[in-house]
Parts: sequence; structure tokens; C-alpha cells
Amino acid sequence: MASDREEPGAPVRELDRREFLRHGSIASMAAMMGGVELHAAARPAAAAATKRRRSDAVASIGIIGFGEWGREIAATLDRMEAARVAAVADTFPVMLQRAGRSFPGAARHEDYRALLDDASITAVIIATPTHQHRDIVIAALDAGRHVYCEAPLAHTVEDAGAIAQAAKAAQGQVFQCGLKYRTNPQHRNVFQFIRSGAIGRAVTARAQWHRKQSWRRASATTARERELNWRLDAALSPGLIGEIGIHQLDTADWVFGGLPVAVTGSGQVSHWRDGRTVPDTVQAVFEFPGGVHMTYNATLASSFDGEYDLFHGSDGTVMLRDSKAWMFREVDAPLLGWEVYARKDRFYREVGVAMVADATKLEAQGIDPTKDDPNVETPLYYALEEFVDNVLNGPFPPAAGFKQGYDATVAALKANEAITGNTRVSLDPALFAAVE
Amino acid sequence: VLQQRPLAVHEAAASRAGDVVVRLACLAMATRFELVLHGASAPRLRAAGEEAISAIHRLEDRLSFFRARSEVGRINASAASGAVRVTPELFGLLRRARDLNAVTGGRFDITTGPLTRCWRAAHGDAAAPAAELIDAVRACVGMHLVELDEAACSIRFERPGVEIDLGAIGKGYALDEAAAVLREAGVERALLHGGTSSIYGLGAPPDGAAWNVALEWPPAAGESPRESPRERVLALVPLRDRALSVSAVWGRTYQVGNDAFAHVIDPASGLPVTGVLLAAACCSNGADADALATALLVARPGDEPIQLPQGWGAVLVTEGPSGEVSTWSKGMDLFTGSSGSNGK
Repeated sequence: MASDREEPGAPVRELDRREFLRHGSIASMAAMMGGVELHAAARPAAAAATKRRRSDAVASIGIIGFGEWGREIAATLDRMEAARVAAVADTFPVMLQRAGRSFPGAARHEDYRALLDDASITAVIIATPTHQHRDIVIAALDAGRHVYCEAPLAHTVEDAGAIAQAAKAAQGQVFQCGLKYRTNPQHRNVFQFIRSGAIGRAVTARAQWHRKQSWRRASATTARERELNWRLDAALSPGLIGEIGIHQLDTADWVFGGLPVAVTGSGQVSHWRDGRTVPDTVQAVFEFPGGVHMTYNATLASSFDGEYDLFHGSDGTVMLRDSKAWMFREVDAPLLGWEVYARKDRFYREVGVAMVADATKLEAQGIDPTKDDPNVETPLYYALEEFVDNVLNGPFPPAAGFKQGYDATVAALKANEAITGNTRVSLDPALFAAVE
Repeated sequence: VLQQRPLAVHEAAASRAGDVVVRLACLAMATRFELVLHGASAPRLRAAGEEAISAIHRLEDRLSFFRARSEVGRINASAASGAVRVTPELFGLLRRARDLNAVTGGRFDITTGPLTRCWRAAHGDAAAPAAELIDAVRACVGMHLVELDEAACSIRFERPGVEIDLGAIGKGYALDEAAAVLREAGVERALLHGGTSSIYGLGAPPDGAAWNVALEWPPAAGESPRESPRERVLALVPLRDRALSVSAVWGRTYQVGNDAFAHVIDPASGLPVTGVLLAAACCSNGADADALATALLVARPGDEPIQLPQGWGAVLVTEGPSGEVSTWSKGMDLFTGSSGSNGK
């Protein structure tokens, strides 16, 4: 962060000067200058390393599973100079035809093992149905490939453990779990901010994911359709909490600096009564050490208010939403200083102070930090950027490695157990300690 | 433009034939897309429709002129200072835009954005933009300023100030992609539209050989009001694995002095198009139909505007200097009604 500070003797930035004139006190000026540091989040290690790297090395990447998410991954990689989508594997010919159209230069395989046999592919990204991860991850690691595995790692604790142990044993190979917020600059910014005590004592957290969507998939053939609808198969599905909630739960694990000790859940099929048993609407309460609870709601039946995370503290609340963040201060909270010149957005009766990652850097580039940053990428982009950088220049410990992936997967699977059983499940610390 | 009645009729027929009908909608590309799917199982149709909608949203994310983070946004930000690598999909679309520019004699042009902005800025002013200003802006417009490198899959602008906007084919292209997703998912009968101006008929409804879409007369000046639904029909267009696109100038206009100008600019003159009230085009895919409908607006009345490729159809409604309305069509039949008399 030191590098983000202004050089001594640098001219007073226009923004500061204006604000200084408006508020006209040395104290507020000092507060503003002091607040600047909080804005300046560390960029992900990957971004910093990318700047170091000036070689023309390109990572040849194979994508296993070319469904909707696999295609999103491929399109994101395609924008990176340092990555090339070199091969695609999918069991469904239609997906391979799509790959042929979108990535004419990439090899196409119906069997992922054929992709792993290709020695020119140094890294693979696994975006298959969750219950297929275990065999593919282990085969890929055995074949000496770097592996990025989507979250959750697996649909059972046992499989997650097997994956994590294999990743741990594969010294010198990168293993990254697709917990995409760990590498997101805005999440890092908020993490630092909260951990520095800026919202006071942690009180509670609340997160939600609302969407109107059936979660069902259709295909021209019945057999294929059964395969596609693994998320609606109670025996295979980690449920909404496992497939979606895991990312927001992971943010809470990270921000609170601990893992839940128990979870109470319930779930219903409230809208999509098409014969499914996997709930389309779920609620869970996670109990974190120190008596801090997080409530989580997800539904496929209403899109209202979309997705967000709220972290409530005794001095204020932080809201993460659409890769942006706002702070809502309690009136009796001590003034941080910088918020006086930050952008403010109104949310019904509350006024949120926009938290902008890298505000000072943006100003240096001539970008107004009070406007939306046009250079902000998706969380997936930053996650893949770190992976590609790690493949080319690592291995260094990823922000979301096997341990973070295992912990989040276990907590989410246990939550799914609580939800499907409408009950409270204790999370034995030994469960998490099984992988270190 | 898309008449609702035929849809209701098709739904009644669908239930007789044992089909269920599922409707889905989404807001994207500044319009409302709607999918009407016919088939045997409602959950399956909905699932397929959701995937099609997510394809539309993904395209919007990539192609939007207004989103700085879209692929098009990145191109506009930096293609003047160096080649920008793009996805093969977008490259294919850019190549197609270049070919359509050639086919339409330059009338369809994805680089007219600066001219449009120039006229938009004059909205509410007493006078039209100065000729010198228009000339200066025109220097930044034209497909010859866009260099596509096939081997590198990249795009570069010849000079600063050039920009691309795929808005004029985006909706049609999105419908093509949505239809492809639906086909992959096993849907055989569907009608899709974006803002009722771009329409795609996949297969045919259970009671007919094609989806019949009614094209309405534009509200022309000096015309006696057309009261009955039958009188309002300009053409009945059968769509079976075909797309229809309609462009009209009465929607968005700029008021400059006492004159109202169309929002479509003729890239050759730099001036808003005049004379054409409505243009519609019909062909096997939505992107081409969109481009052609836009290009037809730019055509001069009286001329056969464009050499239509085989299998394409078009309708034009034009207004002469003294307000006389005339029609021109090729490969598409104007609606004559039961009386057998031509609507015009």
C-alpha cells in the first residue's frame, strides 16, 4: 500500500483542494488525507505479478465441461493476453460444436482423459457437474497439470477431502478453487476495511441471492436431460446453498476470520412444483465463533433485490453488491474522515458511502473515483487472472487454495444437510482440521 | 407491429393439438424480448427458454455500446491506438457487418455513431448542425476506417474518433442465438421477438405452415385513419425458420428548428434519412434482416434500393414531397385482405 501514497511535495489533488475549501478546516483536511489509505486496497497478487511479468509466455489451458459456466470461463480467458484456450472437453457433441465455433483453434475431446494426454496443455479448468469433480481433479493432478476447480469442490465431504488431499500432495502444481470473491479487488478492499475495525465490533451478517429461474435444463434427448439436471437430483445436488451460497458463505468465513460452528437450515419447494424435491427456496443461519450469526436466503422464485452481502458492525454496516460496496455509518460512530468527500448513494432512507477500491490509483490515471470504474472486471476475470499468473510464474499460494475450497465446501454441504433436514447441524472443528 | 391476435389464435390451436405454451420475457438491449414456446412439457420449455434468455443477456454484456466493459466498449476505447484482439464470435459478427455494408452499398454502417450523436446534440436547437461540422464528423465514419485482421482475430481503427455500434444488428443476432439455443434444447416451435421490431419464427405453430406475423401500416401523415384491424395490416408475413425486421422512422426523432428528423442517418450524406416511413426485411436470420431493414430506410424513394440476395424479401412504405404515400415490395406480398384489393 505504501506505493499508493502520494509523493511528498506532490500537488494537492483537485478533489482534496475543492473539499478543503468547502469544509475549510485543517482537521477535515487531515482526516481526508488519513482516510485515503483505506481506499487504497491491495490489488490481487496476480495483478501485481502481471505487472512484473514482461515475458510473452502464454498458458495453454484446457477447459473440461463446456456448459454455460465453462463457456463463460473460456470467453473470459480469451480476453487475456497470457492465456489461450487450447482444448475443450465435453461429453456432449453439441457443446463441442459450440467450442468449434467459438474457439476454432482449440482441440476438442469427448473424453477429458484425451485432453489430459495432450502434453502441451499445462493447466486445466474444471467446470463439470460438481459430482464429477473428484475423478477429474485427481486424474488431472496425476497427469501433472495445474488445476482450477469450480466451487464447490464436491458434492460429498469425502470427495472434497480426497480432492484437497490430492491437491496438497501435488507439490509444485497450482491448485485453485473457484471461490471467485477471494481475488476480487472490491471484496479485498472491504475485507481490509472491516478487519481494520472500521465498522466496529462485528454484530451480524446477512446475505441473499434472489433470482427467478427454474434451475432446470432442457435437451433434445431424455438421457442427456437427466444428466444435465444434476442440480435437481437430490442425491447429487449440493443445493442452492452449495452451488450458489458457498461464495457468499466463503466471504463471511473470510471477513470474520473463522468457520461456522453450527448451522440451522430449512428449505421449501415454494414455486417450481414440477416434481422436484431439491428446494427452490432456502434459509440458513450460520453461527460463527463469538456469537456472530449470519443469515442466508436464496430463492429461485423471486428476483427482487438480487444478490448482496451485508456485514453489520456496532459502528456501521457494509453492503457488497454488484462488485461495488457501500458503508452505512451509525450516527454515534467516530468519523473516519475520508467519507466526507466520497460519493454517496441513496438507498431509500439510508445514505451509503461508496467504497472505491484503489481510489488514489484511479485518480493518478485520470479516472474520477466517484464514478464507476470502467476498468473493473468481473470477479471471474480476477480469479482466472490469478490462476494464469500462478501457472506461468508460480506456484505461489493462491488466495483460494485447497484449504479454503475444502472449508467452504464442507460448511456449505453441512448447511445443505441442515436445509434438507430442516434441522440444526453442528460443525465439528475436527471436520475442518482433517485438511490443513 | 407484431399483432397480438394471431398469437392468441395459435394458443387456442396449441391446446387443441396437445401443445402447452410457455411465455418468457426479459429486458435487454433497451427493449423487451419475448419468447413464446410451444411443446409438450412446460418445465422443459421454460428451461430451454431460460437458457435462451441467458444467451441474450450474455450477448448484451459483450456487444453493448453503452457498457464500457463490453467487448465493443473496449474496442471503442482502444482500437484507434492499436489492434484489439476480439473473440472469434465477435470477429465473425464484425466481418458480417462489413459484408452487409458492401451488400447494401454502404447504407448499413456500424460506424455512424458520431453522426447520430452530432444530430442528437442538435436536438432542440434552432438550426441543423453546420455543414463543416457534419463533414468533419463524416471523416470518422465509414467501414474503410475499420481494419479487420483475420489471422490475428483483431480489429483496428484507422484514425481516432472512429467507433462501432452493433445496435442495428444486435437484436436480430440475439434472436438467432436464442433460436439456436432453443433448437439445441429440443424446442421445435417458437416465436421470438425483440421489442416487436425483430421477430424470428422457429418451426411453425401446430395449426399452420408458418407463424403469420402482421405488419401494420405506419401512421402516415395525410392518411385517413385505418380503423379496422384488417385495414391496418400492410403485410402478413409467414415466418418458418425465418426472421422479420421492421425499421420505422416515426419512433425517435430529433427536433431541429421546425423540422423533425429521423434517428437514422445516411452515412453518405451525413443527414437524417427522409422519405421512407417504414422498411421491413425478411430472410433466414435476424442479424441480416435487421441490417437490411436499417439499410432500406436509407434508400432513396423510387429506386430499387438494394439488390436483394436470393431468398430475401423487403417492403418499403415511402412518402413523397407532397405527402403521397407509396409502397414497394419484393419477395414479400402486401396484404390484400379478403376483398382482393391492394391495400394501397
